[in-house]
Amino acid sequence: MIADPTAERFRDLEAQASLIMDVFAKAGFERIAPEIIQPADVFLDVVGEAIRGRTYVFTDPDGAELCLRPDLTVPACRLYLERHPSCDARCRYYYSGSTFRFQPGGATTENPREYRQAGIEFFGDGDQERAEAEVVALTQAVLATVGLGHTRLRMGDLGLFKALMAAIDMPERWRTQLTHDFWRRDALSQRLRKLTTPFSDREPGPLSVLLEQIDPSRPVAARETVRAYLERENISMFGTRTLEEITNSLIDQASDQHYGPLPPESAELIEAYVSVEAPPRAVGARISDLMSERNFDLSDALSHYQRRIDMFEEAGVDMSRAVFSAEFGRNLEYYSGFVFQIDTGTEGSGGYIAGGGRYDGLLQAVGAPHAVPGIGVAIHTERLLNAIKAQNAIGAEN
Amino acid sequence: MADKFILGLPSKGRMMELASEAFDSVGAPVDKDGDERGYTGSIPSLGNVEISFVSASEIATQLQRGAIHMGITGEDLVRETIPDADNQVDFVKKLGFGAANVVVAVPACWIDVEEVSDLEDVAETFRRKHGRRLRVATKYMNITRRFFAEHGVTSYRIVESLGATEGTPAAGAAEMIVDITSTGATLKANGLRILTDGVILKSEANLVASRNAKWTPSLNEIRNEIIEKFGA
Repeated sequence: MIADPTAERFRDLEAQASLIMDVFAKAGFERIAPEIIQPADVFLDVVGEAIRGRTYVFTDPDGAELCLRPDLTVPACRLYLERHPSCDARCRYYYSGSTFRFQPGGATTENPREYRQAGIEFFGDGDQERAEAEVVALTQAVLATVGLGHTRLRMGDLGLFKALMAAIDMPERWRTQLTHDFWRRDALSQRLRKLTTPFSDREPGPLSVLLEQIDPSRPVAARETVRAYLERENISMFGTRTLEEITNSLIDQASDQHYGPLPPESAELIEAYVSVEAPPRAVGARISDLMSERNFDLSDALSHYQRRIDMFEEAGVDMSRAVFSAEFGRNLEYYSGFVFQIDTGTEGSGGYIAGGGRYDGLLQAVGAPHAVPGIGVAIHTERLLNAIKAQNAIGAEN
Repeated sequence: MADKFILGLPSKGRMMELASEAFDSVGAPVDKDGDERGYTGSIPSLGNVEISFVSASEIATQLQRGAIHMGITGEDLVRETIPDADNQVDFVKKLGFGAANVVVAVPACWIDVEEVSDLEDVAETFRRKHGRRLRVATKYMNITRRFFAEHGVTSYRIVESLGATEGTPAAGAAEMIVDITSTGATLKANGLRILTDGVILKSEANLVASRNAKWTPSLNEIRNEIIEKFGA
């Protein structure tokens, strides 16, 4: 009898999942199985519209807005929060289960709309670099255990970028803006162009006249100026945002004007940093040179970076095909520091196989009373199975 | 029997009249079956063409599915309904009617917001102050997501609105909107202002061909004949 191909694939995925789970269990982690159907609200507020556009959202007969989970990290956070409301416990979870995403170009074997993720999430781990090294080492161990030969490790670090922002003199608001734009190369360049343009060179709009009349050190007077402006222009106030909120935002903009444009050298430094791409060992020196040429000091952040690399080596992470890329990021907004992906490095192999990173702000966004260190990885098991099959097919040919 | 060429035309209002006139003007008048309320028709001068009168948004859906070969509908609806429209359909000809822009509009009193890049600041501050995301009311969920993603705006949330979208900020159901406008008068009447770079799409009625429909040599011939008539 010929086996049904769907049953065969199911069997292969089951067998692979149980091998993966064994590795996590032996590492001493705790297995969790969050619900597949999750409240839509939590996801939509945490992950934003980009993921919402790919999430299966529905309303049940009671009118509750629910979704098929688009990942397992947020459900794991909710579970942790439920079990440890004060969020002071150190927990290491692992899981394997289906996730669901709409695939804009149509579902394929590499990008199915239902796929299983196997992964781990560490909550409350104080020693950041050690935890990061453990996660990466374990991910590589899992891939080797199930039979994947060659892999490539790519990583980035939002922490370094934040340190760079802190080192360059500029208003806090600009730091927030640039950090926000960091993941999007075009948006970042556009923002830098805007910030380096002197206000006198910008197209004068009605706003620039008003801003000249606002003194950031006198908020009450500023509010009166804005109120008078609205009255003169016959614009009525309505909607959720108040006169005070609008005035405060104008005060921020007026302070930027008083500060003056961002020096072009600072913008160049940021662009130069974003272009850094090198083997992880070489990166520290590269960035260090970049900074010392311009008399900036990032030694604190760089020593964390260096320690992470040391920890990687100690944990046995294979760095032979590793590359650090300063602009490398994952397009989920919740990552806050170290990020990584593992793929086979072969063209057209259908996307990364494992991806993860640090998300220290996520638990608080889900409702925790304070920030909790968090780091995790999710393995795309369908792609993993495909990659192993492709690799074995090539092996058989040779 | 040869395969039928199915043409989708709008079933209601001004769009229906103008679409019909467009075929009149190229010498291929449309015959509606039965009385005015019928939902099928033909173009006698083109032979084997069957017309299906459906709503303009349904035409976009059917073009994607390949249930109709060609249709007349707004570019806005095609781009909203079909994520990778340029790979699924061909925009054969702009027809010069039904002109309207899909725009980002905010309350005019948001004098601190002039362009799209100002939105993220406001959205972040709003989230900190109100504990929730800025709500954008729209029926163009996909167009809005794409446009905001391209512009790095992320701290918002879409509220689906299927009518009277321009009233939602005043009613407190949303903070701002993405909507279609032809003259901007309705927006203005509702105290809203279009951001300086807030025109997402300049839309008008288009003659559109589906790439997903079943195309046989004889159906291709009809398509080419229509394209030729429209001088596209």
